Amino acid sequence: MSSATVNERERRRAERRLEKQRAAAEHDLPRSMRPSAAVKVITVVVLVVALFYFLFPIYWAIIASTKSPSQMVGTNGMWFAVGLGDLPNAIASNYATLLGWTRGNFWRWVLNSLIYSGVSAAIGTIAAVMAGYATAKFNFRGKNAAIGVIMACMLMPAALLTIPQYSIFHSLHLTNTMLSIIIPCCVSPFGFFLGRVYAQSSVPDELLEAARIDGASEARIFFTIVLRLLAPAMVTIFLFLFVATWNNFLLPLMMVSSDTLKPVTLGLYGMVSLATFTDRGALMMGALLGVLPVIVLFLGLQRFWQSGLAAGAVKG
Amino acid sequence: MAPFAILFAFVFILPIGWAVYSSFFRQIAEGGGAYGGGKLVNKFVGLQNFQYAITSADFWTGVGHVLVYTVIQVPVMIIAALALAMVVDSFVVKHVTGFRLGYFLPYAIPGVVASIIWVYLYNGQISPIVKGLAAIGINVDFFADNVVLLSMANITTWTFTGYNMLIFLAALQAIPHDLYEAARIDGANGWQIAMKIKLPNVRGAALLAMLLSIVGTIQLFNEPQIMATADPGISKSYTPMMMALNTSQGTLTPSGDGPASAIAIVMALIAGVLAMLYTLAERKVNE
Amino acid sequence: MIRNRLITGLAAVAALGMGLAGCGTEGTSNNTASNTATSSNEVVNITYMHRLPDKAGMTLVNDIVAEWNKANPNIQVTATKFDGKASEMIKKLETDVKAGTAPDLAQVGYAELPEVFTKGLLQDVSAEASKYQSHFAAGPYSLMQVDGKTFGLPQDTGPLVYFYNKAEFEKLGITVPKTQSELIETAKKAAAAGKYIMSYQPDEAGNMISGLAGASGGWYTVKDNAWVVNTETAGSKAVADVYQQLIDAKAVTTNPRWDTSFDATLQDGSLIGTVAAAWEAPLFLDSSGGTGAGQWQVTQLGDWFGNSGKTSPDGGSGVAVLQTSKHPAEAMKFLDWFNTQVEGLVSQGLVVAATTEDAKTPKDWADFFGGQDIMAEFKTANGNMGDFTYMPGFSAVAAAMNTTAAKAADGSGKVSDIFSEAQKTSVETLKNLNLSVAQ
Repeated sequence: MSSATVNERERRRAERRLEKQRAAAEHDLPRSMRPSAAVKVITVVVLVVALFYFLFPIYWAIIASTKSPSQMVGTNGMWFAVGLGDLPNAIASNYATLLGWTRGNFWRWVLNSLIYSGVSAAIGTIAAVMAGYATAKFNFRGKNAAIGVIMACMLMPAALLTIPQYSIFHSLHLTNTMLSIIIPCCVSPFGFFLGRVYAQSSVPDELLEAARIDGASEARIFFTIVLRLLAPAMVTIFLFLFVATWNNFLLPLMMVSSDTLKPVTLGLYGMVSLATFTDRGALMMGALLGVLPVIVLFLGLQRFWQSGLAAGAVKG
Repeated sequence: MAPFAILFAFVFILPIGWAVYSSFFRQIAEGGGAYGGGKLVNKFVGLQNFQYAITSADFWTGVGHVLVYTVIQVPVMIIAALALAMVVDSFVVKHVTGFRLGYFLPYAIPGVVASIIWVYLYNGQISPIVKGLAAIGINVDFFADNVVLLSMANITTWTFTGYNMLIFLAALQAIPHDLYEAARIDGANGWQIAMKIKLPNVRGAALLAMLLSIVGTIQLFNEPQIMATADPGISKSYTPMMMALNTSQGTLTPSGDGPASAIAIVMALIAGVLAMLYTLAERKVNE
Repeated sequence: MIRNRLITGLAAVAALGMGLAGCGTEGTSNNTASNTATSSNEVVNITYMHRLPDKAGMTLVNDIVAEWNKANPNIQVTATKFDGKASEMIKKLETDVKAGTAPDLAQVGYAELPEVFTKGLLQDVSAEASKYQSHFAAGPYSLMQVDGKTFGLPQDTGPLVYFYNKAEFEKLGITVPKTQSELIETAKKAAAAGKYIMSYQPDEAGNMISGLAGASGGWYTVKDNAWVVNTETAGSKAVADVYQQLIDAKAVTTNPRWDTSFDATLQDGSLIGTVAAAWEAPLFLDSSGGTGAGQWQVTQLGDWFGNSGKTSPDGGSGVAVLQTSKHPAEAMKFLDWFNTQVEGLVSQGLVVAATTEDAKTPKDWADFFGGQDIMAEFKTANGNMGDFTYMPGFSAVAAAMNTTAAKAADGSGKVSDIFSEAQKTSVETLKNLNLSVAQ
C-alpha cells in the first residue's frame, strides 16, 4: 500500500480520536448504505453455501463420533447408525473407548492442552506484538537484518527443528516438563509478522508523538495505547498460537514421556499412529471434544471483531 | 523486542544452526562390515548431502508437487477468505456471529483429524459425496493421479480459509468508519466502498497472508501423509517436507539428520527465492 | 477496563509460569530422590517404553506392571506408552540414547531390530537371554538376535496364515486351494460370482509380500561379513506371478489394508478369503461388523508360492535392552516375566511368542472364527516359520515396496517391480549406511 494512503488514513484516525462527537454516530448504518433486497439475497446465499462447505465435514464427524468401527463403513454416513433412543448408549460406548485409549487421562490431557495453549498463546501474543510494534515504529541498528532472519527462519520446517530443540532443552534439563512445550510454542514468526503489519497500519505515529510530548514513557505508551489499538490483531495472533499449540503433536511426542504431561492431541495421534487402529468414531469424538474449548475461546474473543467495537475499545 | 529475540534465538536460531551444521555430516555405521560396530558415527561429507538433495529426482518431483499445489491452492484460499471477510463485514447481513464461527471451526480441528475426515469423504466405496455424485451421474475418483493434489488442496483450503478470513476481518475492523462516511457523502454505494476503500486497506494483510500461505504450503505434510493410507501410491517423498522427515526417521535412504537437514535447507532456499520473487513482483505491480 | 484485564492476565501468566517452573524442579528432585534410594535400599528402577494399544477392555500394560512391582519391591518398573509411529519411536530412542535419558527397555519390531542395532541403541544381553530362551518359540527368539548376539526377548509374532469364510466357500463349491494353479483357478471362479478369496494390499507389501516371498528362502544373508542381497528369489517370482495373474484377471481386491475401504469389502461380504498376519484376527472382528461372524476359519498357507508349507513373519515385535541401561540383568528378569504374561498380552491383541503356557483363544475370537481354537493354529504357524532375516535399514526398503506395489494395483506397474525396487533400495540403503555388500 502506498505510504500516501497510510498517512492520509492515519491522519484521519488521529483527528477522529480528538473529535469524539463525530465518532458517536459510527455505529449506525447510514440510510443510503442499506442494501437492496437482491444484494441481500445473494449475500445470504453465498454465506450459507460457504457455511455448508465448512460445516458439512464437521457434521459428518459428529455423526461419526457416535459410531462403532464397523458402523463407520457399513451405515449411511449422513445419519446415526442407531435409533435416536439408542444414541446415548452409542455415545457412551465411544466415550468409554476414548477414555480407554487415553488411559482415563482424556480430561487431564485436555487440561494440559489448555495450559500449554493458553500460556504459550498469551506470552507469544505479547512477545509477537512487542516485537512487531518495535520493528514497525522504531529504527534501530540491525532492524532489517533481524526481520530478514525471522523471515528466513520461517522457511525452515518447524517439524525438523524438533530434534535439535530436544537436545537444547535436554541440556537445560527441561525435557519432560511443561516448559519444554510452552517455550517453543511461544515463538511464532507468523505472529511477529501479523503484529508488525497491524502495528504499521493501525498505530498512528501522531498519536505516539502526542503521548511522548505528554511525557509518557515508551513502556507506558506500549501498554496503555498500543495494545489497545492492536486488540483485534492480538486476538487473531492469540487464536493462531492457541490453535497451533493445541494441534502440535510432534513437539510433545519428543519432549514429554510422562502420561501426566501429555496434551490431548498427542493422545489422539497415539491412536491414529497404530496401524491396527480402527476406532475412528472414538477418535472423532476426541477431536470434537477437544474443539469445544476453542469454540468457547472464539465466542469469548469474538466481540473484538464486532463491527465498530474495535474502534470503540480504542476510544476507551 | 528483547523477549521475543531471546525466545527466538532458543527456539529457532540455535536449532537452525544445528541443522545447518549437521547437514555437512552423514550418519554411517562405524566399522562397516555386515552390521557395523553397533554404533553410528557422524562422518563429515562436505556438500555431499546437498549434492544428493539437488540431484535427487524424487526431490524435484516433490518440489513440483508443492509448486503446483501452491499455485492452485493459495490464490483460491486467499480470494475466498477475502470475499468471505468482505461479505461478513458488509452491513448486508446483521447476525454474522454464526457464520464467522462456522467458517472458523475447521481451523480448530487438528490437521491429522481433518485429513482423516476428508479421506473418508473422498473414499469411493463409503463416501456419501462420491455416492451422491455417482447417483446423479458424475463419477469422480478423488485419488486419481491428476486429482489427488486437488483433493489435498481442498483439505488445506477447508482448514485455513476461515482463519485467513479472520485476519482480513481484523484488518477491516481497523478501517476508520469516517472513511465510509466520507465516501457515502461523495455518493458511493456499498460495492464501490468495498472495492475502493476496503480492498486497498486490507491489502497489507492480504499480501502478508498470501506470502505466509506460500511459505506454509511448502511445508505440506499432514495431508499427503494421511492421504497415503488410502492411496499408498503417495510415496514417502511426495513433498520435500515428507522427504525430509522420512529421511530423518529412516524410511528413506540415505537416512539421518544430515541428509534430512540438507533437504530442508535446499527447500528453504527455494522457498526463499520464491518469496523474494513474489515480493518483487508485488512491488512492481504496485508501482 | 481492558488495561485492568490485561494486567490481571499478565499476572496470571506470570503466576502460572512460576507454577510451571515449580513443576519442573519438582520433577528433577523426584528423580534425584529415587536415584539415592537406589544406592541405599538396593531398589533398581527400570523404565520400559512400549506402543501396545492399551485400549478399553484390554489388560492395561500398567496393570500388568503393577502386579510385578507389588511382588518385586527391589525391581520397580515404570512403563510409558509412546503415542506415535514406530519410526518416530526409533527416532526418539536414538535421541534419548544420545542424551542419556533412554528407557531401559523398549519395544522394537523384528524388522527394525538390525536397524536399531546398527544405530547403536542396543545392549548385548546374550548371557542373560539364554537363561530365558526356553520360554520362547525358537523362530521369534532368533529374530531378537543380530549377528549371533541377543538383545532382548520376543513378545508377539505375526506368522502369515490364511483367513477364509468357510460358509461362503461352501456356497461357491470351492475349497481352500492347495497349489498355485488351484489358487488362481479358484480365485477366478469366485470372482465370477463377485467374491474374492485373495486381497492384494499395497500398503502392506513391505511386510506381507516380503514375508510371502521369504517363506521359501530369505533375501538377506551374510557371507564373509558382507551382505548378499537377493530379493528376486524363486519365491519372489512366484509371488509376483500369482498376484499379477490375479490382478490381471480382476480376481483379487486391491484395497489398501489400513484404509476403511478394506473394511468395506469385509462388510459387504465380497472379500471371503485373504492372507493375513496372525495378529489381524481380533481386527477382523471389528472390521467385519459381524458379517460372516462364526463362518470364518483360519488355516495354514497352501503351497502357493513355492513355499511348500512354510510361512514367514509379518510384523511382530520384541522388547530390547537399550544401550544406556545400567541394570540389564534386572531388566531382563522383568522382561522374561512380562513377555510370559500370556493372558494379559493376548488381551492386547497379541499372538504371544512365549511357550510357557498355551494361549487360550479368547471367546469372542473363537465365536467369530466358528468356534475354532485359532491360537493353536497360530502356534502351528509359528512352528512353520522359515528363516527370514531382515537387514539394517529395512524400513526404507519396505516403504519403497509399498509405493511400487500401489502402481501394480492401478495397472501402471507390475508386481515384479516390487522386487526389483526392493533389490535396488536394499543395496542402496546398505551402502548409504556404510555396510558391506557382496558383489
